[in-house]
Amino acid sequence: MTTDNRQLTTVQSDLSVVRWQRGVPIFGVPIVTRNFLFLTGLAIVGYILIVYRQIFGLGAATGLSDGYPWGIWKTFNVMTLTALGSGSFPIGIAAWIFHKRKLHAVMRVTLLISFLIYFTGLLAIAVDVSRPWNVYNLLSVFRWNTMSPMWEVLWCMPLYCLFPLFLENTPPVLEQWFYFFPPIRGLVVWLIPVIRKTYPFVVALAYTLPILHQSALGGLMLLVGNQVYPLWQTPLLPLLYVWAAAFIGVATTIGALMLCCLAWKRPLDQSILDELVQLMSALILPWVAVRIIDIVLRGKFLLMFNSGFRSYLFWAEILLVLVPVLFLRQKKYRESHYHLFSSCVFIVLGGMAYRFDPTTFAYRPWSLTYYTPSVIEILISLGFISTCIILFLLAVKRLPILPAPVEQWYDLENYYKRIYPYIQMSGYGDKDQYRPSYAD
Amino acid sequence: MSLSRRQLLKMGVVGGASAALTGAAMAEEKPVAPRDAVAMLYDATLCVGCKSCVVACANANGLSPDTRLDPLHQAPADLNSFTKNIIKLYTPAPGESGPYSFVKRQCMHCVDPFCAAACPFHALSKDKVTGVVSWDSDKCIGCRYCQLACPFETPKFDWDAFNAKIIKCEFCKERLARGQEPACTYVCPKKAVIYGRRDLLLREAHHRVEKSPGKYFDNRVYGEVEGGGTQVLYLSAVSFDKLGLPNLSADEHPSRWLRWQERVMKGFILPIGIYGVIVGFLKQNFREHDDEMNDEHKKTGLLPQI
Repeated sequence: MTTDNRQLTTVQSDLSVVRWQRGVPIFGVPIVTRNFLFLTGLAIVGYILIVYRQIFGLGAATGLSDGYPWGIWKTFNVMTLTALGSGSFPIGIAAWIFHKRKLHAVMRVTLLISFLIYFTGLLAIAVDVSRPWNVYNLLSVFRWNTMSPMWEVLWCMPLYCLFPLFLENTPPVLEQWFYFFPPIRGLVVWLIPVIRKTYPFVVALAYTLPILHQSALGGLMLLVGNQVYPLWQTPLLPLLYVWAAAFIGVATTIGALMLCCLAWKRPLDQSILDELVQLMSALILPWVAVRIIDIVLRGKFLLMFNSGFRSYLFWAEILLVLVPVLFLRQKKYRESHYHLFSSCVFIVLGGMAYRFDPTTFAYRPWSLTYYTPSVIEILISLGFISTCIILFLLAVKRLPILPAPVEQWYDLENYYKRIYPYIQMSGYGDKDQYRPSYAD
Repeated sequence: MSLSRRQLLKMGVVGGASAALTGAAMAEEKPVAPRDAVAMLYDATLCVGCKSCVVACANANGLSPDTRLDPLHQAPADLNSFTKNIIKLYTPAPGESGPYSFVKRQCMHCVDPFCAAACPFHALSKDKVTGVVSWDSDKCIGCRYCQLACPFETPKFDWDAFNAKIIKCEFCKERLARGQEPACTYVCPKKAVIYGRRDLLLREAHHRVEKSPGKYFDNRVYGEVEGGGTQVLYLSAVSFDKLGLPNLSADEHPSRWLRWQERVMKGFILPIGIYGVIVGFLKQNFREHDDEMNDEHKKTGLLPQI
């Protein structure tokens, strides 16, 4: 340290800048809290009602009918919520292909959120299909209908969730085993080079597959033609759906990170949040432009204003997504926790509305049938969402996932050394056997 | 972002291939019915609403009568899990003038079926010779996408059963195989619905329209080109949308909307191409990332997080 005043102030301001450097579990906080018990209760109610649905059939458990065969399990839990869980592919592509190195710190959180939302979405599909015993047809190549977006979704989503996404979520578990279960340490040390060798192939799959199935989710509504209102129905629907999934996923990641860090008193890394906001606005602004230009080019410009409640719906979707992004271009709003979080909430709501409307509010079957979800349907849907949140809470409190500065890691080690004296989480610099290398 | 020439070339090839595929997908194809396609011609002006066809259909298909609304009579309110064929009545609203008309509703056996395009495992498929669209219980997973896709809302579902089925008219294909005609066309006392080859029935329908100009709505046969064409043809004095037949144009058919997906997924070439490009990028970036992580590991003594 020199006596140059200018340098002293630089060092001091550096100390006040937070950098997320490692994933660290939330420690010192009980797992079973009141909220946790409430969510568990909701999930159990949902599972009991699933048994009811299996015994008494879809007609008794839902508000579905022949004129309106798809209810909120398909249209909400799958088509809408998996957009929330699509943060991993845009952030991953930005981090690994566009060299935004900072974003590596948040990859674990976004992968966890993706996996849990997709997993509970798959549970929703499993409960919704009525003849699940025929799902073996997925393996029967001659029965594949490559023209059907439904076929695309049925193989691509489970493959994505259970293969690349699952594998990408194993490193935090392996790390946990390494530090806390000495008997398995050998297995972990053996596994790590295997993972490193196969990582590029698995991660590339984790970017290709979401693009395929998120666009297929959009393609699903192409087939109903003019029953979807022209403000939404467009040949570009698959493209707009996958694009929307990308920015909704990023917004969910920002919101989830802020919520977790503020709830458990962790510091926020403003530079990474800025980076994520930049990614989000780079995705949103062209999306809004493409959507509106597409409507104008198809000659439906006036419908934006004279469609009654559908006009309001359309403009709500556009403005909920556009206005927060324009606000976030200014530094003072990005740095204000309140404004950043509420902007992300609005963007997620606007994006969810965009994904949900073509299947419900903007969809008018020729038979003019109406549909409202039954109470059982809503409770089962909430049961799936609760399962997702419960598993997230469990994971975040036991596995090194949430990003934090390095000091938290040392605090963690000190906290656990009291309970498990054999814990060693630092000081591995000279032990060559634990130094992983790509060249191995 | 620094790109090597090889990476740029790879991206160019993939981009060019996808552009070519989408360009090819834009070219439109008109659906063509099989050469020996079977058909029904229903002339609403001849139908008296006796509903013999409804009874005959239930008998021929082994369906029990729908007595849910009226315990004494077989009285379905619409096509449903007991009813593959139904007669409905259109009457003008109070204050309006005009004729009333019966209409027979069942599966239209489209030339480019929406349900068959939708079904992920070809559970609903169109016969190559007769053009009959039928359902195979071994392949159906019960996703109900066919119900969403069909513009005529034909496929009906067993909402109360555990082993649920999709129920719709299958043109009495067992009777066709035995050389008989479908049950509904066989029993019709007024020959309002008749069975024959699609090309011959189209000719017959045009002949009827020419013989009595102005009698039939719009002087056209519904099902000739609507939605890509159907194998159940309608002639009516009142407008077709009053009878519940949707207003589809000739190019509103599934191939036009979904051919792009079939082409993109052909042999999985394009997805694998994109996958290969991404693997190339990742391998290079992983190496750099690993070097950084190892340096940090040596400096801090903390094990790197993968």
